[in-house]
Amino acid sequence: MNRIETAFTHIKKEGKLAMMPFLVAGFPNFSQSLKILKVLSQHSDLLEIGFPYSDPLADGPVIQKADQVALKAGSTTSKVFELIKNLRLTTEIPITVLVYANLVYQRGIEKFYRDARNAGIDGVLIPDVPFEEISIFLKAAKKYNIDNIYLIATTTTPRRLNKITKVAQGYLYLTSVVGITGTQKDIPRKTLQYIKQIKRQTRLPIAVGFGISNLSQVKKLKINGADGVIIGSSLIKLIQKSNTNNPQTLINFLKNLNY
Amino acid sequence: MKSYFGKFGGQFVPETLMPSLLELEKAYERFKKNESMQAELKKLQRDFIGRPTSLYFAERMSKATGQKIYLKREDLAHTGAHKINNAIGQGLLAKFMGKSRIIAETGAGQHGVATAAACAKLGLECVVYMGEVDMERQQPNVIRMRLLGAKVVPVTSGSRTLKDAINEAIRDWITNIETTHYMIGSVLGPHPYPTIVRDFQAVIGREARSQILSSEGRLPDYLVACVGGGSNSVGLFHQFINDSKVKMIGVEAGGYGIRSGKHAARFAGGREGILHGTKSFVLQNADGQITETHSISAGLDYPSIGPEHVFLRELGRIKYVSATDEEALSAFRYLSETEGIIPALESAHAVAYALKLAKKLPNKKLIIINLSGRGDKDLPEMEKGLKI
Repeated sequence: MNRIETAFTHIKKEGKLAMMPFLVAGFPNFSQSLKILKVLSQHSDLLEIGFPYSDPLADGPVIQKADQVALKAGSTTSKVFELIKNLRLTTEIPITVLVYANLVYQRGIEKFYRDARNAGIDGVLIPDVPFEEISIFLKAAKKYNIDNIYLIATTTTPRRLNKITKVAQGYLYLTSVVGITGTQKDIPRKTLQYIKQIKRQTRLPIAVGFGISNLSQVKKLKINGADGVIIGSSLIKLIQKSNTNNPQTLINFLKNLNY
Repeated sequence: MKSYFGKFGGQFVPETLMPSLLELEKAYERFKKNESMQAELKKLQRDFIGRPTSLYFAERMSKATGQKIYLKREDLAHTGAHKINNAIGQGLLAKFMGKSRIIAETGAGQHGVATAAACAKLGLECVVYMGEVDMERQQPNVIRMRLLGAKVVPVTSGSRTLKDAINEAIRDWITNIETTHYMIGSVLGPHPYPTIVRDFQAVIGREARSQILSSEGRLPDYLVACVGGGSNSVGLFHQFINDSKVKMIGVEAGGYGIRSGKHAARFAGGREGILHGTKSFVLQNADGQITETHSISAGLDYPSIGPEHVFLRELGRIKYVSATDEEALSAFRYLSETEGIIPALESAHAVAYALKLAKKLPNKKLIIINLSGRGDKDLPEMEKGLKI
C-alpha cells in the first residue's frame, strides 16, 4: 500500500473524514511556506500542494493571488520540488501536488514525474488535463509510481466517469460546486447525490474541494459518503490575515473542521 | 472532427468543461449540415454584416511601390472588423444549442463589439470580459458594447489584458456551464473552437479568391495578414492553402522590437507550450510561466497563437514575420493619407510589412492585404502618439 491508500484506509477505520489542506508552495515565501506545511502535516491526513502558476484558470481570486505572491517571492518549479523534499524529511504524510499542464510540459513530462518521485510526492493532479489528454502524463506517472489524481465535477457523466475511474488513482477530487476554487456556497444537493452515484461506480475514495470553509459543509459531505475534504482558499485567506509566525490559528481552524 | 493540427491543439481544460466541449462539437456537426441554419447564416452575412466585403485596388499605394496591391476590406463589415463573421456564426450556433447566455473575452474590443451586436440581433444575453488596460486604450469600443446592451466586466488580474480576460471568461464558463456559451473570438482555445472559428472566418478567403480571379484573372502572389490569435489571417489564407504558388505571410506584433523582449511575436521568442486549452507556441519563461507581452495593438497583444498556425508554419506553408509598434504607426498614417482608409492598429501591422515586402519584390506582383478592421477605435490612443 502506498501512503495515500494507507491514509484513507486508516481514516475509514476511524470513521473520520480525511482533512486535506491545500497550500500554494512558496506562499507567502519559501521559508514561511515550509514552516506552515510542517505544522499542518502534524494536524492533517494528506497535504495538497500547488505549484504557483501565472494563469491558474481553474482557481478563484484567492489562490490566484497566492500564486502571484509566491512567484514574486521567487518560487520556481525547482524550488517547489526542493521545498517538498525538505518537508518530506520531517513527515510521512501523503503529499499530492496540483500543477497546471504547461509547467509539467516545460520541465519535460518524464523529468517532472521523476523529480516528483525524488521529492517524495505521492500523487499529481493536473487540473487542465482531462481524460482526452491524459495518456502521455499517465505513462510517466506509472513509470515513477505516482498516483494520477483526477478532478471530476457533477457535469461528468456516468459514461465518462467509467472511463476516468480506469485511469484515476489515489482518490477522486470532486469539485463541490460547478465552478472555480474558493466559491463560497452551501454544498448543492446535486453534489451530495453525485457522491452516492460515484460510490456505485468506484471504490476510490472521494475527496471534495472548492469552497469548503465550515463545519456544516463538512458534516453534510461525511453523511453523504465523502472520504475527505480539501481546504484551500479559506486556509490561504487565513494565512493572509493572521500572523503566520503563530500557526496555532491554522491548527485551530482545521481542528474546528474536524468531524 | 480532429482535435489536433499535427501535434498542436487538443483540449487542455478542466474536466468540468469537457462535456460542454463534446456537446459543442456534436452540435456544430449538425449545424453545418442543417440547411435552414446555413441559409440563415448566409442571409445574415449578406444583410446584417454587409458581405461580400469589397476587394479594393489600392491604386496610389500600388503606384508608389510598383506592385499591384489589393485590400480585402473587412473594415467595411458591420461593427468594423472581421470579428462579426465569427460572432454571428457562433451566435446562431448558440441559439441552435439552446443556450441563452453568451460570454466573450475581448482585447481590442472588436470581438466584444461584434459579440454584443450579434447578441442584440439574436436576442441573447451578453457579458464581455475585458482587461482594464485594454478598456483604457480602446475606450470607444467599451461605449459601443454598452450601447449594444452588453455587460462589460473589467478584468483586474495579472497583466489586465487579453490573456487575463480569457482566464476570467473561462472561469465564468466553468461556473455557468449549463446556460452559457463561451464565444471565443479567435482560432484559439480548446478543440473544437479553432476549427469552428476558422470555418466562420473562411468566408473572407472564399470571397477574396473569387474576387481576385474576376478582377485579375489569376491568383495572387502574396497574401499578408496580421496575426494575434490568428482568425483574420486563417480566414483569408484557408481557401488558398492548396494553391501552392500563393505565398502567405502572417505578421506578428513586434512591439518595441524583438531584441527588447517587449513584443508579442510568438514565433520569434516563444516555444511549444500549453495555454488556454490548446497546445501551441507560447511566450513563456524557462519554467513555463506565461510572460507578459507588449504591443501597441491590443488585438495582437497575446502570448499564444492559434494551433493551426503552428502546424502550417511547420509544414512551411505560411511564413511569419513581425512589425514593430513604430512600423505599424507609420503604416497607420500612410494608409490613411494615401488611400483614405484609417486601418485598425492590428491591420496596420500587415500594411507595414506589405510595404516593406513591396519594396523588395520585382515589380507587378499581386498582393492582397487583409484589412481586418477599421481604426476608429484607436483614435484616442493615436491622438497621444501621433500628435494629430
